[in-house]
Amino acid sequence: MAIQGLEIRRSSASLRGTGTGIRNLPRVAKYIDTTTCIGCKACEVACQEWNDLPLVPTEQVGTYQTMPTLNATYWNLIQFREVGDQNNGFSWLLRKDQCMHCADPGCLAACPAPGAIVQYSNGIVDVDPERCIGCGLCETGCPFDVPRYSARTGKMAKCTLCVDRVTSGLEPACIKACPTGCLQFGEKSDLLAMAAHRVEQLHKDGFAQAAVYDPPGVGGTSVITILRHGDHPEWYGLPKDPTVPPVVSFWKRILHPIGYLAMAGAIFGAIGHFMAFGPKKPKDEAKSAGSEA
Amino acid sequence: MSELGIPGATHAPGPTAMQLGRDREDVVVGDEIVRHRLWTRLVHWAVAVTFILCVFTGLPIWSPVFGWMARLVGGLSVARWFHAWSGIAFAFFTLWMGVLWWADMAFDKGDHKFSFTEYLRFKEPEDPEVGKYNAGQKFFFWAALVTMLVMLLSGIVLWYPMQFGQGLRVLSIVLHDIGFIGFFCAIVGHIYLGTAAEPGTFQSMTRGTVTKAWARLHHPRWFREVTGGK
Repeated sequence: MAIQGLEIRRSSASLRGTGTGIRNLPRVAKYIDTTTCIGCKACEVACQEWNDLPLVPTEQVGTYQTMPTLNATYWNLIQFREVGDQNNGFSWLLRKDQCMHCADPGCLAACPAPGAIVQYSNGIVDVDPERCIGCGLCETGCPFDVPRYSARTGKMAKCTLCVDRVTSGLEPACIKACPTGCLQFGEKSDLLAMAAHRVEQLHKDGFAQAAVYDPPGVGGTSVITILRHGDHPEWYGLPKDPTVPPVVSFWKRILHPIGYLAMAGAIFGAIGHFMAFGPKKPKDEAKSAGSEA
Repeated sequence: MSELGIPGATHAPGPTAMQLGRDREDVVVGDEIVRHRLWTRLVHWAVAVTFILCVFTGLPIWSPVFGWMARLVGGLSVARWFHAWSGIAFAFFTLWMGVLWWADMAFDKGDHKFSFTEYLRFKEPEDPEVGKYNAGQKFFFWAALVTMLVMLLSGIVLWYPMQFGQGLRVLSIVLHDIGFIGFFCAIVGHIYLGTAAEPGTFQSMTRGTVTKAWARLHHPRWFREVTGGK
């Protein structure tokens, strides 16, 4: 096991016995309140520092965003968007983009390398670089476009939810660094209660559409986000109703059995054909072979 | 008395079938006909070897059931790398084989009469108008070329998934899978027909020759064209 003390709930490409089946730990979660985020990027810096990730040059895209998208060595990105319409007015929306640590992870379902993606008992989804083959199928399975290929290591990389810190009883680095308290860490059930309270406050403050983003299509996520415009997650760059792409289950549940059957059918079909119809030999050769025997 | 010292045996005049087969085909030498010249045979074997490499490095990525195959090349990470390059090599040699056989594989008039299920009943005699390749072989040839292209293009998407959109990646996974399943089954049939099912065929890919009797049975028109009917 990669990390001592964290039991595995599920691991990729495991046909039988996908979990350790012991110590069903409570799920942990990150709480992100986008309404109190000031876009200071302290969480981005803390992530780089704690995970000792090499610097990625910032790329000015004309907004308050460090770079256009996540990177194999930049796992936490505050996304910035200007949106507005007649009903909601104009707003600057900040959102912490990172791995959502889905309860039903599409990356894990799509991964072909045994044990390369694991979901720990506490809900954290992690990549084991020792087993990752860098094929990128996890990216195809991810509804949030999170995993990134590192050309330097030949492996996939993404937010680990600071699994190393969490195992030692510390909160993730980004949470530790947040100056406004818009980032919190704890058991998911506690944080959901806190989020419900905060959403209620926002409703009272006149943001009638405020909601918690914890999409059920992927079984909920271990990163819960409070959105002022809860009815428009796409304004924040979040999919409205994310699910694991159906092709992943089509591929594993339908194409695989068809493939096994077809391959076995071809082999046994050839054997059966040989017994039923025998070899097709030239007559005169068969005759001479017969006369020799 | 012959020079070999064996009564009745004579030294074959001129080059042997194998010597001729280095650069010529469709020639008769004694009781044999050169069916595939050396270069064709070599390219075909390059296709065969790279195909097997693709299977052994691709299947463990397809399903962990075949994980043991990855060990043969040093693990799944190596298999992933190896699969891409053996795929490129396979595409290259298959294209080459395509060029070599392009003209021979053109469908002609009688080919529409061919029925694969009828053929597999092994009834004799064969349609006397079957030339060097029967319609089943021609269909297999063209299907293999098309499938190879599908595998190559979808394989490139899967090789560098980050360079392509989600829709194309998803399509490639499905096409690469279906293409493989079809290819695998067809190759099993191809190997079976070329070895156990039709004795005398395999040597056309090793020695390069077949016997006259074999040619008369399986490819009557080709036999007549090459031998003049004798």
